[in-house]
Amino acid sequence: MKSLLKLKKIILALIIMTFLASNFSPVLANELPYDTYNYNYYEDIVYTPAAYIPSGSISGTQLVYEGEALGVFSNPRDICKTPEGDVVIADTGNNRIIILDSKMTKVIKVIESFDNQGENDSFSFPTGVCVSIKNELYVADSYKNRIVVFDKDYKLVKIIKNPSSEILEDGYVFTPLKVSVDYADRVFCIAQNMFEGIMVFENNGEFIGFIGTIEVKISLWEKFWKRIATKEERSNQRLFIPTEFTGIDIDDDGFVYASNIDENGIQAIRRLNPRGQDVIKKGRNENLGGDLQVDGFTKYSGASQITDVVYRQKGMYSLLDRKRGRVFTYDHEGNLLYIFGGLGTQEGTFVTPVAIENIGDTIIVLDANRAEILTFVETEYGNLINEAVGLRYDGDETKAVQLWEKVLRLDENNELAYIGIGKAYLTSGEYIKAMEYLKKGMSSEYYSIAFRRYRNEVLKENMSYILTGLVLLVVVITVGRRIYRRRKGINKERGLLDD
Amino acid sequence: MTKYFSKDKWKHLFYTVSHPVDGYYWIRHQDRGSIPIALLLVMIFSLSFSLNRLMASFVVNDLDPRTIDSLYELGGVLLLYVLLCVSNWSITCLMEGEGRLKDIAIAIGYSMVPLIIFLNLATIISLFIADGEEAFYYLILFVGIAYTMIMMLVGIMQVHNYSLAKTLVTLFLTMVAAFIIIFIALLLADLIYQIYNFFYSIYIEIIYRI
Repeated sequence: MKSLLKLKKIILALIIMTFLASNFSPVLANELPYDTYNYNYYEDIVYTPAAYIPSGSISGTQLVYEGEALGVFSNPRDICKTPEGDVVIADTGNNRIIILDSKMTKVIKVIESFDNQGENDSFSFPTGVCVSIKNELYVADSYKNRIVVFDKDYKLVKIIKNPSSEILEDGYVFTPLKVSVDYADRVFCIAQNMFEGIMVFENNGEFIGFIGTIEVKISLWEKFWKRIATKEERSNQRLFIPTEFTGIDIDDDGFVYASNIDENGIQAIRRLNPRGQDVIKKGRNENLGGDLQVDGFTKYSGASQITDVVYRQKGMYSLLDRKRGRVFTYDHEGNLLYIFGGLGTQEGTFVTPVAIENIGDTIIVLDANRAEILTFVETEYGNLINEAVGLRYDGDETKAVQLWEKVLRLDENNELAYIGIGKAYLTSGEYIKAMEYLKKGMSSEYYSIAFRRYRNEVLKENMSYILTGLVLLVVVITVGRRIYRRRKGINKERGLLDD
Repeated sequence: MTKYFSKDKWKHLFYTVSHPVDGYYWIRHQDRGSIPIALLLVMIFSLSFSLNRLMASFVVNDLDPRTIDSLYELGGVLLLYVLLCVSNWSITCLMEGEGRLKDIAIAIGYSMVPLIIFLNLATIISLFIADGEEAFYYLILFVGIAYTMIMMLVGIMQVHNYSLAKTLVTLFLTMVAAFIIIFIALLLADLIYQIYNFFYSIYIEIIYRI
C-alpha cells in the first residue's frame, strides 16, 4: 500500500513537471503545426528549417475600444497597414473598419458610420481597405458599390462611385472588392465580374481604364472540340473567360503586384508597370504559381490558389495560398525563397486565409473563418535569407556571402546560398571555388562563366607546352609510321580481301 | 573460346565498321562474325550510356546522378537488344530474309561501335565546354547516332540480301512485331500474376481453415 502511494506521488510529480515544461518552453521549429519545405533544381521537395513560426493570434474578443469589448470579428476580408505600421482591418460582416496599433494590442479607432454631407452614412459589406502614403484610408464598400476615402482624422474626403466610360457596358454595376492606392493617389480596384483587368481611377475619382488584362489561352485540343461541337453543345460548354484578380499591392516604385488564381499553377502573380504590362521576373523554372508538386486526386491536390499578395521589401513579395494555406515568398528574380503555413485548426494554421500583410519583421495573415489575425515572426533562418536577398538586391553580393554561409550551416541544401557564395568567388577571381559552389547551386549559367574564365586562364598559361606537344606528336607519328613500314616491307596499303 | 575471340574476328569487326557493306556480307557468308563480341559490344554500349548520364558535364546533362542505376540500364539495353533481334528475325523469316538469328544479332551488335566511340568522346568533350558551346557535344552525338543507324541499316540489308526499300519496310514491320511481343509479354505476365494470386489465396484459405 505504501509503495503504491509512493508510485502515485511520483506519477503526480511527473505530470506536473511535464505541464511546467510544456508551458515554459518556447515554440520550437519541430513543434510547428506544418512542414516547411522548398523545391530544389529537380523540383523535388526538400525540407528546410522554418523561416517563420507562429507567434500568436489576435481576435476581436481580446480587444477593447473606449471601454467596451470589440466583440468577435465577422467574416473579415482584408487587412492593410498604414505608413506608421498601424493595422487596418475590414471587419466585413460587422460593416465596420477597425484600426489597431502596430503591436495589435490597442484599438485606435473603429469606424462604423461617418458623416456624408450632413447625413449619417455607414458601410455595407466593406471587403477591401488600403491606406495611401498620405495616410488616407480607402475602403471598398462593396454592397453600396463605392469606394469611400477618409483623411487621417477619419473624415470623409470623397466617394468614388458610378464609373462611366465608353468601354464599360451599359448598366454596369460597380462592385469593388479590393482596392489599392499608389503614390500619385491613383486608385487601383479589383471589381466583381470585371474580367478586363484592374480598374484604374484618377485621383479625382474619374475612371480612366483597365490595366493588366489576363489573356485567355485556349489550347489546340479545346479548339478542336469547339470545332466539332454542335451549336447546342457549344452553348452548354463553359465560356473561356479570363480569371479575375484576387489581391493587389503596390511597391515603392508604383508597380502594381496583382495575384490571380491560375488553374495551371504557372503564374499566379503579375507585376504591372504604369502602362499595364507585366514585368515580373520568373525564376529558372519559369514558375510563379506556388506549389510545384500538386498531383493527386484528393481535394488537397491541384494548383495553389493565390488569394493575396504582399510586397515586402527589397523586391521580395509573399503570396498567400488558400488551397493548402501556404505562404510563398519570392525574391525579385522569381526564386522561391521559403514556404511556410498550412491548413488546420491548430494554433498557427488557417481555415480560410484571405489576406496577408507584413508589419516590420512579422507577417500577419487574416483568416475569415476563424475571424482572427495570425502572426508569424521570422526565425534566424528566415532573417538570414531576408537580409542576404536584400543585400543582393542592393548589389552588395560580397557582403551577403557571410550571411549565405550562415544559411548553409542551417540548411545545407539551399541552392540560392550556394549560388550567392559562388557568384562572390566569381567576382573575386577564385574560379575553382566558384565552379564548385555554382555546381552545387545548379546554376549552369554562372558555372559556365566561371568555367570559361578558368579554361582561358589554364590555356594561357600552358599554351606553349600544348603547342610543342602537338608538334612533337605529329613528328613522332609520321616518323614512327615510316620506320614501321620499312621494317615490315609494306609499300602500299592492302585491302583485307587481297589474300 | 579462342574461336569466338580470335584475332581474325577482331580484325573483321574493325573492317566491318570501316566497310559495312563488304564486312556484313562476309559475316553472313563466311561466318566471320562473333556472337560474344556482339554481346560484349552491346554491354559496353550500355556502360558508356550510363557513364555519359553520370559523368557528362552538367552544362549538357542535368540529371540527378542518384537516379541513375547502370545495372538497371544494362538490363534494359540487353532486353531491348534481344527484343529487336527476335522481332526482326520473326519478320524476316516470313519475308524471304536469308539471315539467321545469329547474323541479325551480330549485325545489330557490331553497329554499336560508332555509338560507343562517339558517346564516350562526347562525354569527355562535355567536360571542356561551357554553355553556348553545347553544339559541339550534340554534333558528336549526332555523328555517332547517324553512323550507327547507317551501319544497322546496311547490316540488316546485307545479312538478308534485301534491297533498301525492302529493308525499310521490314524495319517498320520489325517495330510492329516488337510492340506485339511487348503486348503478349505483358499479357502473359498479368496472367501468371493472376494464377499466382489464385494459388496464393487458396493457400491463405487453407492456412486459416486448418
